[in-house]
Amino acid sequence: MAHLAHYREAHPMPFVITHWINLVAMILLIVTGFCIHFPFWPYFMGIARGVHVFCGFVLFINCIARVVMAFFVKSSPTGGTRVQVTDYKTWLPQADNRHQGIHWIRYYLFLKKDHPLSAKLGVPQKISYLAIPVLIIVMFYTGLALWNPTMNLGFFAAGTDLVGGLMSMRIIHYFMMYIFICFMLIHVYLANIEGISPTLLMFFHKEHGGLVYDPEKHAIVGEDDLKH
Amino acid sequence: METEATVSEFQQMLSARGVSRRSFMKLCGAVAVAAGLSELAAPRVAQALESSVIGAAKGKLYPVIWIEGASCTGCTEAFAKLEAPDAASIVLEMISLNYSETLSAAAGESMELAKEQTIKECAGNYILVYEGAVLEGWGGQALRVADKPGTEHLYEAAESAAVVVALGSCAVNGGWMGAHPNQAGALGVQEYLKKQGVGTPVVNVPGCPANPEWLVAVLADVVLLSLAPSELDLTSEGKPAGIFGQTVHDNCERRGHFENGEFVYEFGSKEEALGYCLYPLGCRGPQTKANCGVVLYNNRRSWCVQAGAPCIGCCEANPNDPGHNWVEVNTPFYKRHRDLRIGDWMVQPGTIALGITGILAAALVVHGFGMKITGRMDGGADFEKVRSWDAKHPDKSIGKYDAADVPNDKKEGR
Repeated sequence: MAHLAHYREAHPMPFVITHWINLVAMILLIVTGFCIHFPFWPYFMGIARGVHVFCGFVLFINCIARVVMAFFVKSSPTGGTRVQVTDYKTWLPQADNRHQGIHWIRYYLFLKKDHPLSAKLGVPQKISYLAIPVLIIVMFYTGLALWNPTMNLGFFAAGTDLVGGLMSMRIIHYFMMYIFICFMLIHVYLANIEGISPTLLMFFHKEHGGLVYDPEKHAIVGEDDLKH
Repeated sequence: METEATVSEFQQMLSARGVSRRSFMKLCGAVAVAAGLSELAAPRVAQALESSVIGAAKGKLYPVIWIEGASCTGCTEAFAKLEAPDAASIVLEMISLNYSETLSAAAGESMELAKEQTIKECAGNYILVYEGAVLEGWGGQALRVADKPGTEHLYEAAESAAVVVALGSCAVNGGWMGAHPNQAGALGVQEYLKKQGVGTPVVNVPGCPANPEWLVAVLADVVLLSLAPSELDLTSEGKPAGIFGQTVHDNCERRGHFENGEFVYEFGSKEEALGYCLYPLGCRGPQTKANCGVVLYNNRRSWCVQAGAPCIGCCEANPNDPGHNWVEVNTPFYKRHRDLRIGDWMVQPGTIALGITGILAAALVVHGFGMKITGRMDGGADFEKVRSWDAKHPDKSIGKYDAADVPNDKKEGR
């Protein structure tokens, strides 16, 4: 057992909920989005459009709520500890991350044998997660530029003009969906390839014992088997 | 004799041309709607038409110059094909078409002279209809008319016109003339005039060809309702808002089938005969703004979608960008997406996206085998004892590594 202990403090309940909403909304958006792009199941078209627009708003509002909560809710700065700090701090560069970016990449390319120490989020992980709210907001914008009730509003029409018309906007919306799909593939793969404990914690708040990390000393200081 | 109904002068003119009062009023309603007014404004239009035509009969026609640039004459053809005698031909008679390469009976030097005279004598008081793309290529020599570059003809005629009507998608932004590689340097009238510093207002009427009723609507606005160009209700692209304000999809007769999820997947199929929605066949209705489904075509007989053909977006034209022409933006017409151009390679966005995603998925599978072989699937590899950087910079070490350290359970609440 080489991983850090998985404590609930890493992912407090509000974030478990927003993560669930993200998952459900994104899956529904992708499935209905494919159906709207080309009606593979003709009679599903009407439902697909309704669900797509609804989930688009849900995903956007959920994203804003999650970002706002980062300034009020506390979470652990690293794995293997029950200590908590205000969540937004775990999104900024932390001492635990410093100089570790290159080593994470080396680890995943099998050029480094041992597991890099890190904060709750590793360097490549932190950067890609930070891009997600930006992606969601841009995706929401491109979606509203294509949605008839909003497409003629100056704010959206200007964007459509800028990218060269509705066809270009559609293609951007379409490519961005694939960015989400690719992100999800990598995200699901990396979260589970070394064991499903992170998933059980994120979705069901199920804890799992492991090494204990001291966020003040930035080092592993022992082990907690959760008295199993 | 007192009880006998009298026929107005105008009505006599109508019946002389075989047009019933009823079909004339129908046209007035259509013109009113096309001009962005309610159909209730039909009497107003009728009145304006009557006085104009009567005025015209007395020799006060509004002069119009119709110049063809790089055009296929399709817009002229469409306009000329209005069945005669037809109510719309009455409207034609509200203008004096002083110059038209196709429609004028005269030709050659005398026509050029007539044009020059109109420009000189009616300065600020005539309409210029420009059909086809403006060609800037090869120093303007890509198009020569009457021993002069086509661009010069446009410049001269546009400079003193009251308003320029860019008729057809080519005139709006180069149309398919502007499609890759655009060696002739095609662009739209509005952009060209802006470059030349000509401030004459431009009304953009796209379409391939433009529906003649749209031109009639603009002429009705300017000539009959005496609206100044600034009073016209135009979109941000300078197109009449009443005509180009909503998408083809918004007013499509097959829209009900779209809502029901009833689609045509193959030409000649039963679904097509049933009038189902053409969306899967690449219909550009949802992204093309024009009221085709309302005014129809060929004297209101039918239109593309009624005939079983998906909209190919011929009214898509951004006046400021020849690259954003409807052919470039919409081909291949029967696919839901346009092709993207990478050098000489044309490729569908879906192919790129699926290709990259497929490569990524395959890479993750291969990586997974690597993780399995290196024994990392059970909780990952063992942690480094000391950060690599810390090991090299012990004086500036981030972590405080001490084998004697123990978890502070009390502080952490374990």
